Amino acid sequence: MDRGNHSAALSSAWSRYVHLTRHAFKMEFRQKNGLAGLVLFAIASVYTCYQVAGSRADVDAWNSLAWVVLLFSAFNAVSKPWPEDSAEMRAYLVHVVKPQEWILARITFFSLLLSALTCIVFVAFILFLGSEHLNGKQGLSFFLGMQCTSIAMASLLAMIQALAIRANGGFGLIAVLGLPLIIPVILIATRYGMDILNGISFADTAHNLLFLATLSGGFGALGYILFPYLWND
Amino acid sequence: MAHNVWKIGGFALITYVLVMVFVVPMGPGLLELRSTEGTFISEEMERPIPEYFLTGFATHWNEAPDQLSVIVRSQSNLVQLQVIEVLDDTHARIGVSLPYSLPSKSWDVLINHPVDGTLLLENGLFLSDRFIDESLALPALAIEEFAADLPFHFPYQPRILETIRNLMLHVPMWFTMFVLMGIAFVASIKQLATSRSMVEDEKAEASVKAGLLFGILGLITGSVWARFTWGAWWVDDPQLNGALVTVLVYSGYIVLRNSIDNAPLRARLSAVYNLFAFIILIILLMVLPRFTESLHPGKGGNPGFNSYDLDSALRAAFYPAVIGWILIGIWMYRINLRFTRLNKLLK
Amino acid sequence: MNAINSILVQSHPLEGWFFGSGKALVVLAVALILLIGFGLWMWRAEARLKKMEAKLNQKTSRES
Repeated sequence: MDRGNHSAALSSAWSRYVHLTRHAFKMEFRQKNGLAGLVLFAIASVYTCYQVAGSRADVDAWNSLAWVVLLFSAFNAVSKPWPEDSAEMRAYLVHVVKPQEWILARITFFSLLLSALTCIVFVAFILFLGSEHLNGKQGLSFFLGMQCTSIAMASLLAMIQALAIRANGGFGLIAVLGLPLIIPVILIATRYGMDILNGISFADTAHNLLFLATLSGGFGALGYILFPYLWND
Repeated sequence: MAHNVWKIGGFALITYVLVMVFVVPMGPGLLELRSTEGTFISEEMERPIPEYFLTGFATHWNEAPDQLSVIVRSQSNLVQLQVIEVLDDTHARIGVSLPYSLPSKSWDVLINHPVDGTLLLENGLFLSDRFIDESLALPALAIEEFAADLPFHFPYQPRILETIRNLMLHVPMWFTMFVLMGIAFVASIKQLATSRSMVEDEKAEASVKAGLLFGILGLITGSVWARFTWGAWWVDDPQLNGALVTVLVYSGYIVLRNSIDNAPLRARLSAVYNLFAFIILIILLMVLPRFTESLHPGKGGNPGFNSYDLDSALRAAFYPAVIGWILIGIWMYRINLRFTRLNKLLK
Repeated sequence: MNAINSILVQSHPLEGWFFGSGKALVVLAVALILLIGFGLWMWRAEARLKKMEAKLNQKTSRES
């Protein structure tokens, strides 16, 4: 429980937001097991895909496996309780921090965490399942698509995690609530991935990334408006 | 009694719609022009002419067999074909005597008949073994198109044929679900705005449950329709996937409600989730389908219908069907609401 | 596709088999019975709910 450092940087909304984000990272790194578990899950999933599909996976398999691994790694990342969710911590934070800052900090934290996870997944994929379908520029475009998808997923999953934690429903609830809602994101992402792997130029298929950005903005805005109702008792 | 009129009205409308669905006949159309691999020798010509079968749907050729006229058209080139014999109302033998050099391989088939009017079969005739010279221009025929002399009927759509009758059942399910989820959306917003009462939360729950029933019915009617027109119970189509995911999302709403015991907390959390759910419904069923091509009628622009789907005969049954099913859906929601409120009172 | 159409029509010439022979009217009658029956059931359900509500309100207003 890290109570002491909060009082220092709480003067303005921006500094509170930055502090909360940094705090979330500190908590995450403090529990080394959690982080290691995430990375291990991602790499083990990629390795399993390699065992199943082999290093000669065709375009369809490569695309679908990449997005499936990303999706489930993201769900694994959010299926953890907040270390600050004990009653005293919440009572303290409610007075000091505005809920909007909290949820934006959570979304930022998850976006950064999932971005890092995306890098690991992408590199592992190239390593195990080969990069014969992607030349340099395509690889970059695909990576960019994965990053946009992880941001969209983070903005939705932060809110779903908050909902599930408040409902005391366990992490099965995150999957039940989150998976149907995240399907539009996956639909767009897989369509973008297939386009890139099939050689369509980035300019022609970049509108998908625009959709993902819109979805991220939409989910983030909904979270910003609705989180205060979860925050206050 | 006066305030119950709408409930009876809903069922009255659907009664009218069902009568229309099972009584109104289908309009005529052309199914195919198929080669019999045989030839026909007429008295005037020395060479044998390739013989084709022309099959119509709900046509009435036997009512004026001598007045059936068959024409093939490619852009502005029109060639009259010879009707060898009219076999019955829907079958005829046609002699296709076209020269060896043609301006195109693919020809539309048109017929004129006093009862059936002018019928069109696009790309009905495809000749792969001819010499194609696109600059050729065959003598242009004058062709007048005229309307059918038939009683009230539903329009012919290729591939859909009789199953167009399902339109009155399948599509209104989705309209009704949309209206009911909209009622739940408004109720959820109001629930978040108040702090004490559960009134709006009860409304949201009852409405979502009724809407979910219509969503599932919509999926079932759509699946049966797909089996008869596309040959499969399910296809990978964005609108089908969107509909299924919407039903899953609202099922998640029910799961969420069941996992919280504290009533005010449940009201608040499910209201928050309901807002997400409705936004996803809008995205999946109204936004995404406009951007994709698919088998589902009315793509690339309007996820509902193109204008050709709703000719006036269909409109006469479709609009009442939509209103009728929406009224029935709202009545179901009201009864559900009464029931849950009574349950709470009894506890 | 044209072949499918003509196969469909030849195996089920609906014009004759279904509509001409009056089978369509039988299906219509069954459907209408189900529909009207469902409507009547909903009406009765609402009437019973209203009666129970009235009884409960009477009881609570008598007790208070």
